[in-house]
Amino acid sequence: MRHRVSVVKWPIRLNVKHFNTSSADKPDGSEIGLPRTQCPIQNHRARSTHAVSTVFEAINPSVRSWEEVPGPKPLPLLGNTWRFIPYIGGYSVEHVDKVCMSLRQQYGKCVKIAGLLGRPDMLFVFDAGEVERVFRSEDAAPHRPPMPSLNYYKHTLRKDFFGAEKDCAGVIAVHGDSWAAFRTKVSRVALSTGAAAQYTEQVADVADSFIQRIREIRDENSETPDDFLNEIHKWSLESLGLIALDTRLGCFSSSEGSDSQRLIDAVHTFFLCVGELELRTPWWRIYPTAMFRRYVAALDTILSVTLKHVERALESSEKVSNKSLLQDLVTAAGSRVAAVAALDMFLVGIDTTSNAVASTLYQLSSRPEVQESLYEEISSVVQGRQLRAGDINQMPYLKACVKEVLRLYPVVIGNGRQLTKDTVICGYKIPQGTQVIFQHYVMGNSDEYFADAQEFRPERWLQKSSYKHPFASLPFGFGRRMCLGRRFAELEMHVMISKIILNYKMEYHHKPLDYHIHPMYTPDGPLRIKFIER
Amino acid sequence: MFRHLLRTIATSKVVSTNGKLLSLGNYRSIVPLSTTRPHLQEDKIKVTFVMPDGRSLEADGKVGDTLLDVVVNNDLDIDGYGACEGTVTCSTCHVVLKQEDYDKLPDDACDEERDMLDLAYGLTDTSRLGCQITLTKDLDGLVVKVPAGTYDARS
Repeated sequence: MRHRVSVVKWPIRLNVKHFNTSSADKPDGSEIGLPRTQCPIQNHRARSTHAVSTVFEAINPSVRSWEEVPGPKPLPLLGNTWRFIPYIGGYSVEHVDKVCMSLRQQYGKCVKIAGLLGRPDMLFVFDAGEVERVFRSEDAAPHRPPMPSLNYYKHTLRKDFFGAEKDCAGVIAVHGDSWAAFRTKVSRVALSTGAAAQYTEQVADVADSFIQRIREIRDENSETPDDFLNEIHKWSLESLGLIALDTRLGCFSSSEGSDSQRLIDAVHTFFLCVGELELRTPWWRIYPTAMFRRYVAALDTILSVTLKHVERALESSEKVSNKSLLQDLVTAAGSRVAAVAALDMFLVGIDTTSNAVASTLYQLSSRPEVQESLYEEISSVVQGRQLRAGDINQMPYLKACVKEVLRLYPVVIGNGRQLTKDTVICGYKIPQGTQVIFQHYVMGNSDEYFADAQEFRPERWLQKSSYKHPFASLPFGFGRRMCLGRRFAELEMHVMISKIILNYKMEYHHKPLDYHIHPMYTPDGPLRIKFIER
Repeated sequence: MFRHLLRTIATSKVVSTNGKLLSLGNYRSIVPLSTTRPHLQEDKIKVTFVMPDGRSLEADGKVGDTLLDVVVNNDLDIDGYGACEGTVTCSTCHVVLKQEDYDKLPDDACDEERDMLDLAYGLTDTSRLGCQITLTKDLDGLVVKVPAGTYDARS
């Protein structure tokens, strides 16, 4: 298989033949097995990609040069980095979402951000057809925009650990052959269909503890305290601990200074620092700034706490026969790969999932009718028993709700690639090495790609008729470098939300919250949600 | 690879205990006596891939192989096929089946597969991902179409 992938090429095809099959003449996709399953999603699946006709128009005989790409002009010497200096620059790291929106309005569908000190030029892409084209033409080892700071940590500062064994540095901030070798080892175990579903009961167990935890922390008005988000972080860490390490970390009873809380704080610090270190002037390259020292300390904490758990899990795995991702990985690829994979999972798997859940709960809390539809669907599937593997697949509306929240408020607002070859995007020749950022927050909120984009309508994901561009909202990315933890993140979210809906009605009685990048895209303010027992 | 190994063995010469040169080439005659091969032949499933340019690629697979396995094991020349190695994170192994074959498949597409099919180029009512179609005896003689890809953005 590896051999196969190494020769993957996409040919230049100038004549596009549209494909006719006998069934394509039939009126719609309703014959593709609706009687067999009740899933209403099936009804809309059989449609052609909207972008088909537009994909090819982009190859323009008169390709313009990189210099002509519109965008804010860099100043001599200072470049564009100064724009991210607080108060002076006007571009806030915390509100990159709004910066991106206004760039789209001001400059059009592709915007160049040149002259960022210490990093390559960036190209923001707001055109879903172009996103589709770039994704489809990816080779076997696509590059993501590197994070120089994490790169420095993994490959310079702590190279004794990450460089000790060949191809064992993980997947984050690693590229090329080393990345491909590691990813291949892990992705079979983590991504194949059904890989996550077998953990349903374990994840449901943690969700039950969280349901109980909500009862304990509610105030006299049944509202959650200001730091509810931190409680969700604990749930996320607890779930991940169970999936990745087969260990109950005991996060809900954790106190200040415990390993679990230190891990949560460290992950939060990591994400807060990474944006600042990457977008602002990289002084850390010259001397270790206070921010950089915090960042390295946070990474060291994550590394040491994770390794401690991994070691314990590996020791006990010889005694118990419980199935966990860690054991699957040890069997498939050895203990060192498993440990590094667990580290990467803890690095990016806690905040992301918990903020997605927080955002979903906040959105649902002001929509009682959506909660009712969810309750009907979930209770009719579960029917009072425990949640089992496969149950979630019978909850299309629940899945649609999560998709809808991630369309409007993706926890990571953009996804990127570093071009490995010169590429034509939006009619401009973009040089190799440019960081291309696909702005799915902006595209997901655009009427161009979703009918009535500003409306929260989960039904749009279930209807064939409602217009949506499949490449405009890809919260987990696409292709070889798609989110490695996607199946687990989705399982955790679906299980958690279904449990909450089964147990509580949610209400929100405070002023509406704006969203901000902190460091995920998340509601800005205390999540005081009222949980009323059903 | 196996063939290569056999060839190596066949051409290598060893010195037997009594000092006479023996060629292992003679041992080739042993191979057809193996019981594995006729057994495999019995379970061979023939699959034809019809390419966008009209070419037909024929290959054999075993029961339990996926279409992606068939492409990889036979080293079929389908550019970019199965980029994500069967982990359902891309749609490059997209194939279009005939309605009757589509109906014959034991399993419907799961949600993960459907999410990726939504992103497939030139989706039809009888589209599936090749990595999710497992060969059964029923499917012997299966003919699938491989839809056209898209422009090479790297050109």
